[in-house]
Amino acid sequence: MQGQSQQQAYDRGITIFSPDGRLYQVEYAREAVKRGTASIGIRTAEGVVLVVNKKLRSRLMEPNSIEKLHKADDHVGIASAGHVADARQLIDFARQQAQVNQLRYGEPIGVETLTKNVTDHIQQYTQTGGARPFGVALLIGGIQNGEPRLFETDPSGTPNEWKALAVGRDRGEIQEYLEENYEESADLDAGIDLALEALASVSDDDFEASGVGVATVDVETEQYSELDDERVQAHLDELDLLDEEDEEE
Amino acid sequence: MHDNFNNTIDSGLANPAEPEVGEMPTNDHSLDDLENVNKTGTTTVGLATAEGVIIATDMRASLGGRFVSNKNVQKVEQIHDTAALTLVGSVGGAQSFISSLRAEANLYEARRGEPMSINALATLAGNFARGGPFFAIHPILGGVDEEGHHVYSIDPAGGVVADDYTVTGSGMQIAYGVLEQEYEEGLSNEEGKTIAARSVKSAVERDTGSGNGVFLAEITTDGVDIRGHKDFDDVI
Repeated sequence: MQGQSQQQAYDRGITIFSPDGRLYQVEYAREAVKRGTASIGIRTAEGVVLVVNKKLRSRLMEPNSIEKLHKADDHVGIASAGHVADARQLIDFARQQAQVNQLRYGEPIGVETLTKNVTDHIQQYTQTGGARPFGVALLIGGIQNGEPRLFETDPSGTPNEWKALAVGRDRGEIQEYLEENYEESADLDAGIDLALEALASVSDDDFEASGVGVATVDVETEQYSELDDERVQAHLDELDLLDEEDEEE
Repeated sequence: MHDNFNNTIDSGLANPAEPEVGEMPTNDHSLDDLENVNKTGTTTVGLATAEGVIIATDMRASLGGRFVSNKNVQKVEQIHDTAALTLVGSVGGAQSFISSLRAEANLYEARRGEPMSINALATLAGNFARGGPFFAIHPILGGVDEEGHHVYSIDPAGGVVADDYTVTGSGMQIAYGVLEQEYEEGLSNEEGKTIAARSVKSAVERDTGSGNGVFLAEITTDGVDIRGHKDFDDVI
């Protein structure tokens, strides 16, 4: 019994490599991300677009209480996929880092620096005894030196920069859609449309505006802003992605 | 991030008023020391030109302005690819302040792949001056970045004030007298050096805490060039 539990320890201990060099707990955390509804990030010439699927489990639930889009600082937004509670911890960490940078250097934090501060923090949870990795992936989008930047964090603490990507459920299929249809020179509205269409390409049901969250950080104002339901509705109308019942109304 | 391997997770939050590398030195400076900063001998001048920034400092170290303890002191040091800081007040405090800022600027650039802006450097310097025991100092920070040519006075309580030209040290009133007459916008670096050296020369002539020549630092996008001149005639 003792022998067996020793042998399998790498399956449970976060700080223990498997014989073939894998960290199973980190891989399990990635599975947790896949169970969360999808979030999509698109970098356009005019700024960064974040779109999240806020699928409601019940019509009694308040859509506003689904936290998948977060303002980290005036010029940075974060979309999450996976464990909401874990995401909240990382978002708060990111918000504090942004303010520490402002206090320390008197200037807004770079999107890349912020991402790497967050991923360094995530990494510590893959190398510290007694810890559990974060079961969440983040899309960190914002403006740095007048340029739109979009980064991904994963449970291992690896930062990657993307032109467009998805995390969460159906990541692979959404990613394929983005790869076929992404255009670097697109404007912000085209970026929003691309993300909504990508999300629709994997959804069985049609959307309701309250079931989708859209946020942008545009190059001109360098401000994070979330679109209200009416504006989301307008995009969905235009793309003809709306629930049929809504159209009859 | 990992200071040790005792299995604890670092909060990851740097204290804005402390260096990330090393620690704040500790000492028991009093408020009297703070007031004495302006009594310590020295004249340091910083001015922005159309081409960059010029800093000029005298070369005398004195004990309360009564005894000359060194006649060949370089009171301006490079702290960044395109920025320099003057030493005014407690020599130990100023040297330690410079070492800390230099380390922070290097770390910032290594981590982020771009140099610290002069505004960021000035903010950090202000935080350190206010939060730390370096406070018996009153340096000038001059530097050049994408935003332009900057001169900041960092006061002993951590105040950070940007200006086109500024003077600190016991000879400040005399040096200001020259600058008020001669400084104008759009100077070339050569003109700036002459005016800065003239203002230090006036202070050297009448302030017993300042003397023995001038160091001139010329800061441009190419870097920092610092040269000492025992004879003012070389540069005026």
